[in-house]
Amino acid sequence: MKSWWVRAILLAALVAIGIWGWGAVFPGPEKIIRKRLNAMAKAASFSSKEGLIAKAWNASMVADYFTENVQVALEGPGMQQTISGRAEVLQAVARARSALSSLSIEFPDIKVTLAPDRASAVVNVTARGKVSGERDPYLLELKMQMIKAKSDWLINQVETVKTLS
Amino acid sequence: MGAAKAHRTERAANRDFGMGTDAEAVRPPGWLQRVLIGRNPKRTLVRILILVVVSTVLFKYVLQPIRVEGGSMLPTYKDRSVHLVNRLAYFCHQPRRGDVVAIRLEAGEHVMYMKRIIGLPGETVEFRHGRLYIDGRRMNEPYLVFRCYWDHDPEPVGTNQVYVVGDNRTMPWDDHVKGRGSLDRVVGKVIL
Repeated sequence: MKSWWVRAILLAALVAIGIWGWGAVFPGPEKIIRKRLNAMAKAASFSSKEGLIAKAWNASMVADYFTENVQVALEGPGMQQTISGRAEVLQAVARARSALSSLSIEFPDIKVTLAPDRASAVVNVTARGKVSGERDPYLLELKMQMIKAKSDWLINQVETVKTLS
Repeated sequence: MGAAKAHRTERAANRDFGMGTDAEAVRPPGWLQRVLIGRNPKRTLVRILILVVVSTVLFKYVLQPIRVEGGSMLPTYKDRSVHLVNRLAYFCHQPRRGDVVAIRLEAGEHVMYMKRIIGLPGETVEFRHGRLYIDGRRMNEPYLVFRCYWDHDPEPVGTNQVYVVGDNRTMPWDDHVKGRGSLDRVVGKVIL
């Protein structure tokens, strides 16, 4: 009786490890999108210690997460910005890096809704930004449209969602 | 002779089942064992499991802990202070004016807005010289400490919405996050 319990627990553990391993080796689109957005947030963040070359390199890295003709419309308390195309994204990122001494961006919540053809997705993101010297963090709720290009998921559209209208 | 044989057999059986001899059985557990896992490890394990389950259910579905970031609710709720959200507060009744609530965003609940309800469904919210007017009637707000100079035209609140704002209204109107939020986004009432 006791050995059956042990076997059942071992079997359940093996199944759990198998499912986890399968997910780790062959991640689904939702997981890939989450990982990609978190990587973008990391690339978009910078500290005051960052050198000039690193700044330029990381700014170009951020632009790589967008499509050529991306449309970005950001609106928040005391802030409004519209960006068209990857080149403008690169400029905006470079401007932010020269204007601010440090910026920390993170996406604490990411909700992915895949299209039926699994080639595009609507992603709701909670974005939190902290600028050095400012007490309150910036909080934005974003709605992104991402499309699958070859093996990568690229951001094609970004707009601000007003939680409180 | 027979009694001695029986005694040996019992001691052997005890050893087989890991029970030890009488002398070993009465030996009290060491202080380290008592501190770490108690006198009865099985009972301790059951207690830990119950504690984990109860804590998970309690702090995930009933009383959700939150940490304040920013000064929007000053001086009522200070920056970096920790509070609890009662998720069952509006199980039996609708939110009331003056309640401080947590409002979730579309993507999830790791980050939420913490605001005070000033306008209820179907009402009209207006600010004149920093004073709040609901449906044209001036409202008393005892929780306000800082002066406010907002002026804002009457704004209707939808039938499925509440109007929320922070207690710190010292900043300009456009710099303060406030407005109408859907009732289904209200996670619960902030307590403690």
